[in-house]
Amino acid sequence: MLGYTEKMRGIASRLLKDCSVEMVIGFRKGSMPMMNEPCFVTTIEDVPSLIWDSNCGINLANYLTNRKEKIAVFAKGCDSRNIVNHIIENKIKRDQVHIVGVPCTGMIDKRKIAGMVKGEILEVSETDDTIKVKTADSETLFEKTEVLQQNCTLCIHRNPVIHDEMVADPVEEQTSLDRYADIQKIEEMESEDKWQFFEDLLSPCIRCYACRNACPLCYCPTCFVDESKPQWMGKGQDPIDVRTFHFLRAYHCAGRCTDCGACERACPVGINMRLLTRKLEKDCQEQFGWEAGLSLDQRPALDVYQTNDPGTFIK
Amino acid sequence: MEMMGIERDRLHMSWVSSAEATKFIDVVTQVTEAVRALGPNTRFVKQQAKVA
Amino acid sequence: MTLVTIDKKDWLKGLTAAAESYRLFGPVKEKDWHQFEELDKGEMPDLNMVNTRLSPKALLFPQSEDMLEYSLDETRDDHHIMKEVRKDYSPRAVVGIRPCDAKATQLIKLNFDAPDIKDPYWLKAYEATTFIGMACDTPLSTCFCTSTGCGPYHEEGLDVLVMEQNDAYLAKILTDKGQVFADASGWATTSDDAATFEAGKKAAEDRIVSKIETDNLADTDLLELHGAPFWDDVAFACINCGTCTFSCPTCWCFDIQDEVNGKSGVRMKNWDSCMFPIFTVHTTGHNPRDTKTQRVRQRFMHKLKYFVDKYHTGIMCVGCGRCVRQCPVNIDIRRVCELMNSFNPTDACASQG
Ligand code: SF4
Ligand code: SF4
Ligand code: SF4
Ligand code: SF4
Ligand code: SF4
Repeated sequence: MLGYTEKMRGIASRLLKDCSVEMVIGFRKGSMPMMNEPCFVTTIEDVPSLIWDSNCGINLANYLTNRKEKIAVFAKGCDSRNIVNHIIENKIKRDQVHIVGVPCTGMIDKRKIAGMVKGEILEVSETDDTIKVKTADSETLFEKTEVLQQNCTLCIHRNPVIHDEMVADPVEEQTSLDRYADIQKIEEMESEDKWQFFEDLLSPCIRCYACRNACPLCYCPTCFVDESKPQWMGKGQDPIDVRTFHFLRAYHCAGRCTDCGACERACPVGINMRLLTRKLEKDCQEQFGWEAGLSLDQRPALDVYQTNDPGTFIK
Repeated sequence: MEMMGIERDRLHMSWVSSAEATKFIDVVTQVTEAVRALGPNTRFVKQQAKVA
Repeated sequence: MTLVTIDKKDWLKGLTAAAESYRLFGPVKEKDWHQFEELDKGEMPDLNMVNTRLSPKALLFPQSEDMLEYSLDETRDDHHIMKEVRKDYSPRAVVGIRPCDAKATQLIKLNFDAPDIKDPYWLKAYEATTFIGMACDTPLSTCFCTSTGCGPYHEEGLDVLVMEQNDAYLAKILTDKGQVFADASGWATTSDDAATFEAGKKAAEDRIVSKIETDNLADTDLLELHGAPFWDDVAFACINCGTCTFSCPTCWCFDIQDEVNGKSGVRMKNWDSCMFPIFTVHTTGHNPRDTKTQRVRQRFMHKLKYFVDKYHTGIMCVGCGRCVRQCPVNIDIRRVCELMNSFNPTDACASQG
């Protein structure tokens, strides 16, 4: 993905120059290692701030809605699927966005890397398939595949499913992955252990809602957790309230989640709440043969009734 | 719900038309029996909020 | 001010003795990070840490705290009467708090202990607490405390400041409260090695690599700054989560909610955040700060301008770097501060033509 930056700047300049868009949404270099900041560019002079590397894990589909401009956006595989969701859910019109597809080889997991080296990370650089991490007194070289975000290791749609132009030729898709081994393990637990497992998983949650807000799917004007007349749930740190937030949020993403990983990436305490959304993703896959955000022409599984919908859970 | 540790028999789902009185009785009987067999629910019950 | 030296071998003994008359709190390792918690009997604070993930502000200002309780049971005489919840305000000590977090307590105090309004919950907890600070010899690359009126050996808000010195600790007793704690711990071997303290301080300050400039903030016109052209750009990436404000040791906003269970209820306060869209919603449904840009501007204007103008004690930030490290989209207060501090209203007008 190393050559992408130059190509992207070229595309952005062209689009702004011929006035085909008013704004380009991409990333600029962050102030910390392994962090980039989503940004917009409206003038050719600002184009050089755009960059692309393996730290662009935030989902840019989240930045498209409720705007008036004609927008160009750089979209990875997962972002493009969330854009499809937005179009299907009437959050944005197809002709308001110029989608520049970014074939993706995965984003790196800053928490995982921090756990693999000793001391504070001061600098991280990359080649196409390695990541070099510098601390005050060491330098470590990782294979990129070792340090990918978990969702990227499981990704089977790295190439954008919808685009107006592409930054580069498609990359090879990963095949024959066992995408749900961890979910299966939980499914096989005893009921009590499941309860305890999620108690532990969610106990550090501070209800900052970064996971909800980083997600393009969560756009309700007032979220159920914030309603106070009536209160749908308590606002404090009671573990039952925390759990209620998490499982209901996951339900609201059922059949819509693209496993882009933005939620987990955004969480300041590193909770893998994707275990909940991926269980629902797995169910949608198994029961309805449905994967979210692949096509503009098909209504989502939980949006339509079909005579072959499974019904064994109804007694 | 089951994935999160709510017991399988705790939650039931059924369609009963307003004309299906006998089915309604059957379903209610089954559900109460199944839930009673599990004993009182201890998970997902919030008493007074546990905070500082 | 007295200086005492404590052999590391006696550290445990001292704290165990102190635990007889204090509830002790300190940093403990949990999963991948450190967190301030009440220490169990015999448990030691883990001083081998960098900044905790969340600040210790929760020790005085819990994320969720019951304030009042009441009963709706009309057969009771005291139904519908709000009563204060009983709490344990016996003496406690925080061992291992960083100077930045201790200074932050003083900034929060400006709000919770104002001349006309006092927050009894915070204040009682504050008064019950002795702060034993740990000087900070291993700052992170994101620490900029020396340019916020603080520093790795800053003493404000502390009762004792401890520095590590090979196989001993050197403790500077700063207040009477600190002396009482030292007596309880049996820290009595005085030392006259003030030079070591000064040298440690100097060395630690030199290790801080990150700096900000704040000299122009007070003199820049408030409305001009409010109308500065950079806010949309600053705010664009923000997802309006509460990470920056929840992790910040100086953010003090809270929300009050009632929760009823059957016939008994509590009124509790929960941390709130100016970054949340519902923060300013009026009962009419009107929201004076209903765009993201307005909310992000509020956060930075509060910390770097309104606070500066109101209290004349500098900015409402101690430079701990938590928000910088934890913001999911890398909005960096140091960059925003630079934009604000170097903002020149006349340039902006000229460029608007
Ligand atoms: S989920 Fe797939 S498309 Fe998205 S960042 Fe990871 S590898 Fe790329
Ligand atoms: S729930 Fe998480 S993984 Fe799924 S679309 Fe939202 S942010 Fe992406
Ligand atoms: S981002 Fe993490 S801490 Fe914040 S609400 Fe979500 S799970 Fe909880
Ligand atoms: S604003 Fe950021 S750097 Fe400043 S005190 Fe708060 S968390 Fe620390
Ligand atoms: S600045 Fe960062 S941490 Fe704060 S609300 Fe915005 S996205 Fe969240």
